[in-house]
Amino acid sequence: MAITSNHPLYNARRRRNAIAKGLALLATLFGLGWLVLILGVLLWEGFGGLSLQVFTEMTPPPGSDGGLLNAIAGSIVLTVLAVVIGTPIGILAGTYLAEYGRHSKLSSVVRFINDILLSAPSIVVGLFIYEIMVAQMGHFSGWAGAVALAVIVIPVVVRTTEDMLRLVPDTMREAAASIGLPRAHMVVRIAYRAARAGMVTGVLLAVARISGETAPLLFTALNNQFWSLNLNAPMPSLPVVIFQFALSPYEEWQKLAWTGALLITVTVLALSIIARSLTAARKSQ
Amino acid sequence: MNAQTSNVQQQNGAAQVAVPVATHAKVDTKGLPEKITIRNLEFFYGDSRALKGISLSLYANKTTAFIGPSGCGKSTLLRILNRMYDLYPGQRATGDVLFDGDNLLRAGQDINLLRARIGMVFQKPTPFPMSIYENIAFGIRLYERLPRAEVDSRVESALRRAALWDEVKDKLNANGQSLSGGQQQRLCIARTVAVKPEVILFDEPCSALDPISTAKIEELIDELKQDYTIVIVTHNMQQAARVSDFTAFMYLGELIEFGATETLFTTPRDSRTQAYITGRFG
Amino acid sequence: MSEVTLNGAGVSGAEATSRAGVLRRLRTTDIVFHGLTRGAAIVVLLLLSGVIISLIHGSIPALGAFGLGFLVTEVWNPVTEQFGALAPIYGTLVTSFIAMAIALPVGIMVAFFLTELCPQVLRRPIGIAIELLAGIPSIIYGIWGLFVFAPFLQRYVQPALIDTFADVPVLNALFAGPPYGIGMLTAGLILAIMVLPFITSISRDVFDAVPPVLKEAAYGVGCTTWEVFGSVILPFTRVGVIGGFMLALGRALGETMAVTFVIGNAHKVSSSIFAPGTTISASIANEFTEAVGELYTSSLVALGLILFVITFIVLAIARYMLLRLEQRVG
Repeated sequence: MAITSNHPLYNARRRRNAIAKGLALLATLFGLGWLVLILGVLLWEGFGGLSLQVFTEMTPPPGSDGGLLNAIAGSIVLTVLAVVIGTPIGILAGTYLAEYGRHSKLSSVVRFINDILLSAPSIVVGLFIYEIMVAQMGHFSGWAGAVALAVIVIPVVVRTTEDMLRLVPDTMREAAASIGLPRAHMVVRIAYRAARAGMVTGVLLAVARISGETAPLLFTALNNQFWSLNLNAPMPSLPVVIFQFALSPYEEWQKLAWTGALLITVTVLALSIIARSLTAARKSQ
Repeated sequence: MNAQTSNVQQQNGAAQVAVPVATHAKVDTKGLPEKITIRNLEFFYGDSRALKGISLSLYANKTTAFIGPSGCGKSTLLRILNRMYDLYPGQRATGDVLFDGDNLLRAGQDINLLRARIGMVFQKPTPFPMSIYENIAFGIRLYERLPRAEVDSRVESALRRAALWDEVKDKLNANGQSLSGGQQQRLCIARTVAVKPEVILFDEPCSALDPISTAKIEELIDELKQDYTIVIVTHNMQQAARVSDFTAFMYLGELIEFGATETLFTTPRDSRTQAYITGRFG
Repeated sequence: MSEVTLNGAGVSGAEATSRAGVLRRLRTTDIVFHGLTRGAAIVVLLLLSGVIISLIHGSIPALGAFGLGFLVTEVWNPVTEQFGALAPIYGTLVTSFIAMAIALPVGIMVAFFLTELCPQVLRRPIGIAIELLAGIPSIIYGIWGLFVFAPFLQRYVQPALIDTFADVPVLNALFAGPPYGIGMLTAGLILAIMVLPFITSISRDVFDAVPPVLKEAAYGVGCTTWEVFGSVILPFTRVGVIGGFMLALGRALGETMAVTFVIGNAHKVSSSIFAPGTTISASIANEFTEAVGELYTSSLVALGLILFVITFIVLAIARYMLLRLEQRVG
């Protein structure tokens, strides 16, 4: 029997296909809708509170006006320190996985563990640093916050470094070896150069990741109402200030929380876009 | 600099089986200095044996070609000569490979030094991700601290040696990867030459190139022979006939026949060699 | 040996000696560099073992005092120093379940749309938008949930649901009032919105990895787009989708900030998903700095240990699944 276009079975199949396609479209609109909504509210509320004051004044006491200067400065210090601590370790470990230890047992274990760390709950990292630093030193500190963030940076950088080094063709390694170059020099002077854009992307993504991290800072760097760049003392940071202010009953604080949230989001999105265009430029080469 | 030499045959002679061989091909192996002597060489990828009892001499300032069908072990043999296989686990070689009398397979062999003395040019051009100038200067600076002017002149002479100077002298700071395939390959030859090796290994250096670039590389190989001992792996029999003084025919991991190129191509002793060079398999 | 000329082969004796010296130096740096990279790789191992050891060490007082009963005790009373993990564990599981029940089907359908239906020109922009959104810090979701989403639910959604199911058995317990706005449902929904881009982007990558010939073969016998998706793409990528699901679940289970704002922080096991509850991470975030006394702190660390063990298992399964897909695709 030939199947014609009005065969009942065929019609049913066609109907099901149309329904599924409709659902898929709906799902996409639904998903994107929420996200547009969140960003819309964020922009609305955040821009509403944005003024020069935000960048020039300290976080205010309850019920009065102020800015976020100390929190912004604290966040920058913590982020820079975390990157300075975490990046070299991450790059070296990623290099081990992609170069020296490519086939070793240690590498497969490290790769697995790194993947776990990459998605481990960040609050657990906070507890870890609390136990080994805060509890030992007897007080909260900027150092503890920076180290906690570094623990989050490391797996991101390890992963991208390994991935990017693996994109460097083996013929390049052989060519370097063929003029007598030991592995270390091949890696540093040739492979890193070839993988540079990708590795920078990895670091930028790590910065994006930690600039919004709150949980690991709550009980490491804690917070500070005042201007403080003393790494041995509690240190303010944007995410923790947002957390405190948003949950407070004071309207001025809530407003600042929104503004802080906007600042963080813009930073993170900008970093992701830069990172993305770096790798895109490399791909199109 | 690169005067056209008579022995480079263009591709149009391809249909012939026994191609006229380079003019200098008439050589007697007796009395020739051996640069590399291979004795009872076996090679293993894990448990599988890829080379079986290879014995062969590579003569100083001569070009030796390894030919044979894909998978015959010719590239494997070449990559033993600079121990490139050391980069990968599970690969090992047994037997003797004497390089100026020193067994290069022995434990404790200084592999990096060995590789500096035995250079290699690969199938695909492999310029480093840096400028043309840096590609050459990199290898020079690796071993010597020289004033800038001297490095400049060494870079120039290496590029001239590789017949590339005239094409790149105005853009030495351009990225090496911006050159054409044939130019990249000559850049790689220049890079190899700059390190002052004694032997240069070519692993199918023209298989990714167009006929004109191929001719240039072949011409270059012929010139380099004055200063270096050359080994070339090729799947192109005409190329082997054009550039080499000696040819080794390999099949299934064994060395079937080795001799002066002219002799091997005109009067092969083994029936398998005969079958391969007349195009009946491979 | 050939003579040494400017272009000549080989190097003179003196030069050879200096080369050997150069190479010795290079080799020394190679050994040092090898050691450094290996050391850094070991640091990664030490981090994880450090996390485990410090959590276990910190939990000892609580586990010593309460034993395994800690896992099944609901009471959480800082005054009498009675602590049990049941409510946070329950809240963690319920919120994650709600999140995954919504985000998984929606995420897969969005990925289906992006890979098979979406006009080519929109594919990249939407794909990039979704990936960017996956990177937005969770605190943003939290603050939005607190100020916008929870009041909205309290005002419009929850009263309607309570009324609708008032007379339906089981469901009337699940949707029991009063409408606080904040609670487990709100937290679950926000988690769903948060992991949605994540699931979508993994599923899309996984669907894109299906060899085109497979799809073409199915289209070739007259399958509709949906049938190709259901009978070729999904089965082929099943392990990958499960892996992605597990990764997202790992995130939802351990998520702190998106949840802490809207969960209500009540150590209570309630049948109603409108009721305030708590999750492991929210309890730690809310109480850790205020916890006084060794037992209180230690109980919170013990909660962290439980969370870590759960997510470790989930993530290990995820990695295993994704690895299997990778091997299949080659």
